[in-house]
Amino acid sequence: MTKSINITLKVWRQKGPHVKSGFETYPATDISTDMSFLEMIDVVNEQLTLDGKDPIAFDHDCREGICGMCGAVINGRSHGPEKGTTLCQFHMRHFSNGDTIVIEPWRAKAFPIIKDLVVDRSAFDQIILAGGYISVNTGGAPDANSIPIAQEIAELAMDAAACIGCGACVAACPNASAMLFTSAKISQLALLPQGRLEAANRALAMVRKMDELCFGNCSNERECEAECPKEISISNIARLNREFIKAGLVSSVK
Amino acid sequence: MQLDAKIPSGPLAEKWDKHRFELKLVNPANKRKYTIIVVGTGLAGGSAAASLGELGYYVKNFCIQDSPRRAHSIAAQGGINAAKNYQNDGDSIWRLFYDTIKGGDFRAREANVYRLAQVSNNIIDHCVAQGIPFAREYGGLLANRSFGGAQVSRTFYARGQTGQQLLLGAYSSLMRQVAAGQVSMFPRREMLDIVVINGQARGIVVRNLITGEIENHAADAVVLCTGGYANVFYLSTNAMASNVSATFRAYKKGAFFANPCYTQIHPTCIPVHGTYQSKLTLMSESLRNDGRVWVPKTPGDRRPPNQIPESERDYYLEEKYPSFGNLVPRDVASRNAKTQCDMGKGVEETGFAVYLDFADAIKRDGKDVIQQKYGNLFQMYEKITASNPYETPMMIYPASHYVMGGLWVDYNLMSNLDGLFVMGEANFSDHGANRLGASALMQGLADGYFVIPYTIGGYLAGTDRPEITTDHPAFKEATRYVTERTRKLLSINGKRTVDDIHRQLGHILWEYCGMSRNDDGLLKARKLIQELREEFWKNAMVPGSSEDFNQSLERAGRVADFLEFAELLVIDAFERKESCGGHFNEAYQTEEHEARRDDENFCHVSAWEFKGDDNDPELHKEPLVFENVELTQRSYK
Amino acid sequence: MNRLTNPLGTSVGKKLMMAVTGLGFCCFLTIHLAGNLTIYGGKDFFNSYVEHLHSLGPLVTLAELGLLVFAAIHIMTGALLFYQSLKARPIRYSVNKRAGGRTLGSATMPYTGFILLLFVIFHLINFHFVDKTNITTFQLLSNAFANPVYIFIYTVAVIIAAIHVSHGLWSAFQTLGANHPKYTPFLRGLSIVFSVVVGIGFGFIPVYVFLLL
Ligand SMILES: Cc1cc2nc3c(=O)[nH]c(=O)nc-3n(C[C@H](O)[C@H](O)[C@H](O)COP(=O)(O)OP(=O)(O)OC[C@H]3O[C@@H](n4cnc5c(N)ncnc54)[C@H](O)[C@@H]3O)c2cc1C
Ligand code: HEM
Ligand code: SF4
Ligand code: FES
Repeated sequence: MTKSINITLKVWRQKGPHVKSGFETYPATDISTDMSFLEMIDVVNEQLTLDGKDPIAFDHDCREGICGMCGAVINGRSHGPEKGTTLCQFHMRHFSNGDTIVIEPWRAKAFPIIKDLVVDRSAFDQIILAGGYISVNTGGAPDANSIPIAQEIAELAMDAAACIGCGACVAACPNASAMLFTSAKISQLALLPQGRLEAANRALAMVRKMDELCFGNCSNERECEAECPKEISISNIARLNREFIKAGLVSSVK
Repeated sequence: MQLDAKIPSGPLAEKWDKHRFELKLVNPANKRKYTIIVVGTGLAGGSAAASLGELGYYVKNFCIQDSPRRAHSIAAQGGINAAKNYQNDGDSIWRLFYDTIKGGDFRAREANVYRLAQVSNNIIDHCVAQGIPFAREYGGLLANRSFGGAQVSRTFYARGQTGQQLLLGAYSSLMRQVAAGQVSMFPRREMLDIVVINGQARGIVVRNLITGEIENHAADAVVLCTGGYANVFYLSTNAMASNVSATFRAYKKGAFFANPCYTQIHPTCIPVHGTYQSKLTLMSESLRNDGRVWVPKTPGDRRPPNQIPESERDYYLEEKYPSFGNLVPRDVASRNAKTQCDMGKGVEETGFAVYLDFADAIKRDGKDVIQQKYGNLFQMYEKITASNPYETPMMIYPASHYVMGGLWVDYNLMSNLDGLFVMGEANFSDHGANRLGASALMQGLADGYFVIPYTIGGYLAGTDRPEITTDHPAFKEATRYVTERTRKLLSINGKRTVDDIHRQLGHILWEYCGMSRNDDGLLKARKLIQELREEFWKNAMVPGSSEDFNQSLERAGRVADFLEFAELLVIDAFERKESCGGHFNEAYQTEEHEARRDDENFCHVSAWEFKGDDNDPELHKEPLVFENVELTQRSYK
Repeated sequence: MNRLTNPLGTSVGKKLMMAVTGLGFCCFLTIHLAGNLTIYGGKDFFNSYVEHLHSLGPLVTLAELGLLVFAAIHIMTGALLFYQSLKARPIRYSVNKRAGGRTLGSATMPYTGFILLLFVIFHLINFHFVDKTNITTFQLLSNAFANPVYIFIYTVAVIIAAIHVSHGLWSAFQTLGANHPKYTPFLRGLSIVFSVVVGIGFGFIPVYVFLLL
């Protein structure tokens, strides 16, 4: 049932990458419990605008949990406490009247803050750029059905491919490691016959790039898997490790 | 001015081959000397930038989002069509061509649509090679499902995330070209103007959304792949940043805007809850295979659905369309829902929703079967609405979803401005007055992977272009214009937020230029839009500065363009005195309340030319010639 | 050599070294525990085990050297990983909450590890680097564990070790790429069982020795 609640927000405000910053407190009154979290911020922003204050900057686009643009840490939980949900799909009915909500941006050295809750995730593009693709040019592909792929394998690959690149895994990881994101791509391509040809190169290059970008080291804490809105499994990290061992210690790839 | 679509001569099936042979080629060694700007990284832009990079051109690729992987295409759920005939059920290039032409209510070009059907198969091959995990049968071959009323199974899919997977495929190829140095990425940039020199598109002016800096980029050709303008309705299923600005700026620089009134309303979306609502979520159309649509018979009946007895329910689609029932096409289903709600029979707190009931299907097939088919959709619905569709009927309502209109392009996908190519949802080309499900993804990728690589070569090899740099006065002029406009936006200092005004614009269009239109309403809408536009420039409130990350400013610029564009949309709707596809004018309907086309007088593309801010735009007509299909009236009784 | 050091120098490579050396320690713990359990057979049985062990001569030295190398790798790599991960998040969250992945063991690896290092040094000073010419190992033990402070230190250390391996054992398998829907639940269980066995097995020795007095 729809009802209205009043809550208090403590939001991280930061004008730019290296400027003074801290929490600001705002009341959010008359919030319908049917609102999504981002719609609640919209409402607060409308008020801030009318009051002549700077509205809270936050990234968002699709608002259906697929583009991976949104994300913030809500009371210590990436994308809020609901399992398998992005912030845009997380609704205010999970809060009660009088609650205080602390909103922080993703925090990681590799994701510098642009403004308020907006961070720079271009490091993820860099990781993909290092080898997250199959080297085929447009035009030369054989008939699609000439490469049969077992259904379970295709499904496993799809499980990994579902990653939306939101960065919640990095945000939730106590070490700010990007292993879940990286492993999702390495896994997807390593599982498919099309991707095997470059598997060794890819594993080495992507891991090196990940390190270079100052992400932390995975220590199998499993927080990423628990917070990932697409419930990407850490079995993908194990597969990355296998691919890496094969590539680094067995294959002839440098 | 006579619009020349440059359709090659010869039999339909040979046109594309013949044309490719006739197009001039660029010497491979020369390709790297050419710079091409691609605006947009959706299926159209991403695929174009990647394949042009592969060919050796130097490509500059722009997008609004922080990464090319997040373009709006990512949200497409259902699937992508191709005439592979893997199911042996009678599909063919010809059938895909015919279905698409007919689905578009005979308002698209035969030659373009035929080419689309031809290259559809290459798309699937390429996507599989890229590692896209399409759904598969137990034997390892690709699976298909049927979609959007087609009688063959030709839709390829990757769970409910086909758009995502196709886009990530294009993105991976794009990243490979970035790594190779062939493509430079410019994310978080918004194109604010296009630069035309000697009648040729030679560059763009963008705002760096992080620093606020206005940047100039010059090139030999500009390719716009900036998506659709459904957000003119404020509430739509499109992503929040989807806009008309890029195409509208090009329109103001002389490119013709074609068929802006062809907008598609999708019947099965989660209804609006309150004024705070920021966007609408699409529920896959496939739900109508098993769900039954109904409303209470008595207007104003607010009992919970399970307390309304069978005898007091109105299964209006089943009654009115006994043979198609709940499976009538999108436009018919949408219009009927609106009619019921306008009669006061709508449900939900707002009265703007109808039930989509699965009780019978669950009784017939069991909960397990329904769960297997629609589990993830039911879950999504429950996440958003907190109501369980296994127990209470879903509530749905139509929402603005897709636009068939866009910049006018010829067979080469080039607009009437030389060197300005337009692809994907941003152009008007392939879907006529109505798009069939699973064909927008096909079109975006066809344009990007398999059309532009040839046609842009023909243009570059076949024209002379003076050497220019961004020091050219035309860039200075465009920059001045953009800076001035930004300054103006920031200095209005009124009392209404931009979203508030946008919301009102949405109401006006939805009311008078939405699912069904009439002349009076359109005239009224035009006036209301003009007034609202005036109010915007007097009373909008745009906080912050132009020199940093300012999302309010971004939105204000987009809404300012929507306010101008909306009027063009209404003008076009007023001008088209017939009903076809997504454009339904109440004065033109059959006795059964179906759209009645006027092939005698309106079998043409309406292409609008900008004539200055204070003048009405000028209409140019490109006649549509059908040599291969017979024009018929749709009927779903 | 570059071919090998390059991959091992990456984050995943370092983790692999942690896993291999950590598993090595787990094997050592198992053997060490098996040996120490002879104490429950009485003083003579225990002393004869120790003699046996020492009679292996160079083999023992080799094993000790191996352990030393492993320890050096494990400790230095662990410290480096820990430091790098700290640096990866220069500004920490003001609210921290677990989503259900972290366990006591996983959250405290560097700290339990560090305490273990201190303990190992203490332990070696106690029982390894002492003149054993006039005294049996058992006597050495009884002397030490007559002091309740020693019992306390040893018991705490053993609990810490148990916590360390409760995550470590499973984690090492995951790092080596062994994650499988069929076996992973078993491995996670095994980690817990192993840590309990280590905890109880070692933990009761000081108490038992104290009680024997
Ligand atoms: C919910 C939903 C489901 C759908 N499902 C299906 C389906 O199942 N099958 C199907 O075939 N179709 C489907 N569609 C339609 C289809 O997704 C779109 O038509 C298609 O993806 C459009 O692709 P595009 O490349 O033309 O543009 P988009 O993907 O919209 O990309 C636009 C790009 O342009 C950039 N851009 C825009 N404006 C500017 C500017 N001013 N400056 C710089 N960059 C700019 C954006 O950043 C973005 O990168 C669906 C649509 C929706 C909304
Ligand atoms: C008897 C002694 C020890 C045993 C049996 C042991 C065992 C292990 C095992 C199995 C792991 C898991 C490796 C992986 O996750 O792949 C591990 C990790 C770790 N150990 Fe130890 N260890 C011991 C002593 C120490 C000491 C003395 C230190 C420290 C100074 C230490 C510090 C660490 C750290 C920091 C990790 C976590 C590394 C990471 O996950 O990134 N350990 N240990
Ligand atoms: S793995 Fe999950 S949390 Fe990490 S980026 Fe992908 S979707 Fe987001
Ligand atoms: S806004 Fe797209 S995932 Fe949340």
